[in-house]
Amino acid sequence: MDNTRPAAIIAALALKDVGFCADVGVGGGAPAAMVGTAAAAIMSGQARHVLVYRSLNGRSQGRLGAAIAPRTEAGGLGSYDEFFTPYGLLTAPQSFALIAQRHRSLYGTTDAQFGATAILCRNNANRTPHAQMFGKPLDMDQYLASRMISTPLRLFDCCLETDGAAAVVVTSSERARDLRQPPALVRATAQAGASGMSGGMMFPSITWTEPTEVAASNVARQLWSRAGLGPREIDVAQIYDCFTITILLQLEAYGFCAAGEAGPMVESGAVSATGRMPINTDGGNMSGGYIHGLNHIVEGVRQIRGTASVQKADAQTCLVTSGPVGMSSALVLARAA
Amino acid sequence: MSERLHPAEWDRDTGPFFAAAREGRLVYRRCNACGRGNHVPMASCRYCGSTETEWRESEGTGTLYSWTTVMHGVHPAWPVPYTVVIVALDDAPDVRLTGSLPGAPELNAGQAMQVWFESIGEGRVLPNWRPAEAKQERGQS
Ligand SMILES: [Zn+2]
Repeated sequence: MDNTRPAAIIAALALKDVGFCADVGVGGGAPAAMVGTAAAAIMSGQARHVLVYRSLNGRSQGRLGAAIAPRTEAGGLGSYDEFFTPYGLLTAPQSFALIAQRHRSLYGTTDAQFGATAILCRNNANRTPHAQMFGKPLDMDQYLASRMISTPLRLFDCCLETDGAAAVVVTSSERARDLRQPPALVRATAQAGASGMSGGMMFPSITWTEPTEVAASNVARQLWSRAGLGPREIDVAQIYDCFTITILLQLEAYGFCAAGEAGPMVESGAVSATGRMPINTDGGNMSGGYIHGLNHIVEGVRQIRGTASVQKADAQTCLVTSGPVGMSSALVLARAA
Repeated sequence: MSERLHPAEWDRDTGPFFAAAREGRLVYRRCNACGRGNHVPMASCRYCGSTETEWRESEGTGTLYSWTTVMHGVHPAWPVPYTVVIVALDDAPDVRLTGSLPGAPELNAGQAMQVWFESIGEGRVLPNWRPAEAKQERGQS
């Protein structure tokens, strides 16, 4: 999925004897599963240390949020675009707007709740010097005045496009013990698809069982079971946020609140920097930078090490989720005992 | 205004939907094992895995499931604003089809929708959707 192929990384770092490489998952749904695959390779003896990376140049060149290039024929060969793009459904914001509108119809989610979600991320970015939107405050008046992209999503409901890269090194807990940096243990990883999913990429998600449930509900079930933890034991979380709606969907899917209650939960401050469980502490994709959620894993490691700019005091556990539509994944990071 | 995107009509799994539209018929893929409609259509049923699926004609009525009014234009064939609608078929509610309306109409979840067949050039036809009331008004003229 990454345009930077393994061979380019091997050449750039002049690595010798690389003995394992894998291409896991799709887009923003992949990063936690990439770490899971790395852990599996290490545990099965296929590798000793695995570099998990993502690089994007969305700001200057490879704009993922752009419409498909103008052409005349759409679809075929399992893309299923023929059912969507001829009707003017052309971009990711439009596709997620349909899910957001469905959430509004079901639960009465308000503009102010979407706004509070965007502002939460921006506030964290404004305390994180490496964040893309550092030094650019956002308040509710600015949010509500921002131009509508595709109702109900405004400009500030959409994530950034970023030139950047993020990477983590996965190794055995035995090897990690005497490294200079304190390790973040991978407590559990999980990967799953959405209920009633079909072929195709993003647009068909509106035709799946109930698009507000997304794949994250199925990831969550596996993840909590494997981790031996539940939402109450999570100190801090990095929630994949290509749009504000995906934060709301996942707060519900991972059991931090009931279905439909994520909007009020964000408004209550429970997931703000000073709340019980801060989320997206470096601004996430919304305001930190858009590296397909590998940046969320890096920030999760910072939280466990205690080195984040917006640090949750004594964080023992951090949930990190990847894109919630299609095949999704998540992991729990924990401090070594 | 550039040429409108037209659907690939040659795909084995999806082509019959557009072939039927050329004849003014709306069809959907139905599983004969579990009875559920499948959209997007695939050779097997996504709910039970059966390959006992077939095309079935729809009555062409549905309810509005979701919608979005596009305000940020990205394609010359689609001047803004326009509204993309997702409609659940009355005769197979699992089947949700796409449509589009000009402008930014006032819409409500669950409202009745009616199919119509839109010619997009060179014989190509898209099944499209509009509020059922509008269809009745036009039906009188
Ligand atoms: Zn079936």
